[in-house]
Amino acid sequence: MDVAVLDRSAVSGNSHLHHAAPRTKLLAFALVLASIVVSTNLFIVLAVTFALLALIAAERLPARSMLPLAAYPALFAAVFAFASAPDALAAALIIAKAVTAALAAVTLMFTTPYPQVFAALQRVTPGLVGDALLMTYRAIFLLADKLADLTRAVRLRAGLSGAHPIRSAKATTRALGGLLLYSLDLSQREYDVLVLRGYSGRLKVAERPSTSPRTDRALIAGAVAILLTAALWRVYWISFIDYSWMPLAFALLCLAAALLLRRRNR
Amino acid sequence: MSHIHIPDGVLPVWLWLGGWLVALALVWLASSRSGSVDVRRKVPLVGIISALVLVSMSSEIVPLAYHINLTVIAGVLLGPQLAIISAFVVQIVLALLGHGGVTVIGLNTLMTMTEMLLGWGLFRALIAMLGRKRVRGASAMATVVTLAITTTLLVGLVAVSGVTGATARETGALDASNLTFASPFSDGIIGVGLFSGGEQAHEPEPGVGLSRFAAIVYTLGPLGWLLEALVTSAVLGYVARVRPSLIFAGALAPAERIIPGDEAIR
Amino acid sequence: MSHTHTDHIHPDDPTAEEIVRISCVRHTYEDGTSVHLCGLDFLAHRGKRVAVLGPNGAGKTTMLYHILGLLKPQEGAVEVFGVSPSEEWSSIRRRVGVVLQNVDEQIISPTVGDDVAFSPRQYGLPEAEVRERVERVLGLLGITELADRVPHNLSGGEKRKVALAGALVMDPELLVLDEPFEGLDPTSRQGLLDLLERLSRERGMTVVLSTHDIDTVPEFADYAYILAPGGTIALRGTPAEVFANAPVLARGNIKPPILAELFTRLRELDPTAPVTALTVDEAADALDAWKKC
Repeated sequence: MDVAVLDRSAVSGNSHLHHAAPRTKLLAFALVLASIVVSTNLFIVLAVTFALLALIAAERLPARSMLPLAAYPALFAAVFAFASAPDALAAALIIAKAVTAALAAVTLMFTTPYPQVFAALQRVTPGLVGDALLMTYRAIFLLADKLADLTRAVRLRAGLSGAHPIRSAKATTRALGGLLLYSLDLSQREYDVLVLRGYSGRLKVAERPSTSPRTDRALIAGAVAILLTAALWRVYWISFIDYSWMPLAFALLCLAAALLLRRRNR
Repeated sequence: MSHIHIPDGVLPVWLWLGGWLVALALVWLASSRSGSVDVRRKVPLVGIISALVLVSMSSEIVPLAYHINLTVIAGVLLGPQLAIISAFVVQIVLALLGHGGVTVIGLNTLMTMTEMLLGWGLFRALIAMLGRKRVRGASAMATVVTLAITTTLLVGLVAVSGVTGATARETGALDASNLTFASPFSDGIIGVGLFSGGEQAHEPEPGVGLSRFAAIVYTLGPLGWLLEALVTSAVLGYVARVRPSLIFAGALAPAERIIPGDEAIR
Repeated sequence: MSHTHTDHIHPDDPTAEEIVRISCVRHTYEDGTSVHLCGLDFLAHRGKRVAVLGPNGAGKTTMLYHILGLLKPQEGAVEVFGVSPSEEWSSIRRRVGVVLQNVDEQIISPTVGDDVAFSPRQYGLPEAEVRERVERVLGLLGITELADRVPHNLSGGEKRKVALAGALVMDPELLVLDEPFEGLDPTSRQGLLDLLERLSRERGMTVVLSTHDIDTVPEFADYAYILAPGGTIALRGTPAEVFANAPVLARGNIKPPILAELFTRLRELDPTAPVTALTVDEAADALDAWKKC
């Protein structure tokens, strides 16, 4: 995954979400995240997932780049769930939570230039933490790229064939060391440039004002509704449990409508 | 070992809140002393290490359902102050991806932090005793001892919390939670049980669960420790050979730069 | 040896203000490779354009990194605006503009406009002034139309201009450029040369650049330094002086500009041939005068 694709989408996209104020999007993101965190009902979490998918479809965001990114956490959540969840439903919940949280994050990052997001984050985190968060974010993409190169190289050279498991394990760990140093140099240079150009631990940006206040209001309303739903089913789950399918059905309807509308407009 | 996969609402409030407070205090301490240029210069390293720990924590070696943590590597390369920051950043991102709850970020940070700091301290001590030539041996030993200690800490934490180990799938341990928590199916309700926030969970006698948890952790754990030790010693051995200053120059020594371009330094 | 460039002031001019001084700096990399920037002191005076030449691995980039405070001298001293850059970079960084070799790594914002605005925003200038500065510098480089583009999509030459805009936006007193001509087509290269000449003449900007592109040196530099392998600062002088010193050039693996070579050969064939001319105009004048006599 190239960070350039993400940047390009964040900057040159033209959806309603792109027009909303970064501040609003961050708040909405936090609300959605909170609703995923409090939710213990698979159906509710899935409802949030499909609501987000509906949003992505309706806004014509580059789903092809976004979905693999959001699905990546599913991979490890699946193994985690396999190892620790007591049953299939709990496992599904673990995976759904991971994917939905990632989907929300990806939607935010694909519609908001990263300096806007990190400038806001750094305002509320202690100095070094905000600084480290920014570099970690950049480093994740950098590592992902290099890791892909690396596995290819290891496969080509030593082979993970299993014929020489020890030798291939050795090659892999040595490659891991190389990866560490290589990425360190890259990120060091990136940081050098930031410092040379005036960065001192806090990104400063000109806050983008909203160019569509209606979108801002709709976003917040939607996020609050999601959080309320999640909270309701969490607190009064005994009375609501039988109706868990309703939010999910509603979200699915939204997704269907978005897809239909999209096809008709095409 | 370094994080507990316990969802929100399972642990008693005093425990997780205490965890948050202590972790935040430490982060604040580490961060407030970061004004100096030397610390800032290490931020790219913090970013890369955090990203690497994140990636490795999220990719598992499937047969063992075990994921390497690289926490000792992180500790050795970052030193105590930056390790605290890195542990916090890693746990925040993991929590946002659904890998454990939000309320347990504090405790998780403390666990990861302890592991990094222990690893760092033991490694330093062993190197002082054995000499600089013995990086591999020292790092392997430091890793095993660190993991043994933190595993015990975790068992202690589980004992203190009164919650059976449950979702704490640790250090190669396949999970014991099936028996210790009510299955949603058994209650005939979706999403209750493990993730209901504990209040609905059947609490078996802590003693049984705990000893079972401890038994599993201590029998399967060492396999994981060994694996981690192998990876750690290979990576640190490589770094010691190629870029010794990262290990020996002191955690806050100015970062060595590899100059891009035409300098004949390779 | 005669000065064909009368407007070139010699580096030892005592009246000029010293902006950069490097005295006998040693840097040893972890693999044992050592760069020892010694021999002569490296000096750059206010308003002067200084070129650093040398073969691969001589330590050109190492030298620039010392000027930028990215490396700490293990031995010797570096002074920029009278302070040590590795220790007090924050006090001088507003006065220094930089374009490093790999411009891809240097463009950090998602749009060209934001990227150029990066430094002024970090320094907390009011937004109106930031915009005015960005507009001005984009105009100066002739890339106003790129303002809203995503940098990743630009060509190499355009990226270089964007990076340069980001370096010039704070009106630096010292501009440090590492191999700035790489990836530029001849027109852009000439444009950059003209721009640098104008900036140093009109604003008294000091420019220090490293380059392999020997042919740009006579046109660009007030004076040049030659680094020999290992970092020894073997020679300094006006381009004419430097390119007339064949032994040092040979030691530094530097092939003199083609005109200098031509005149050297001419003098070998006929001692009455004119001394080295380094630009086409000078060469034409010299040859014309020679023909007449």
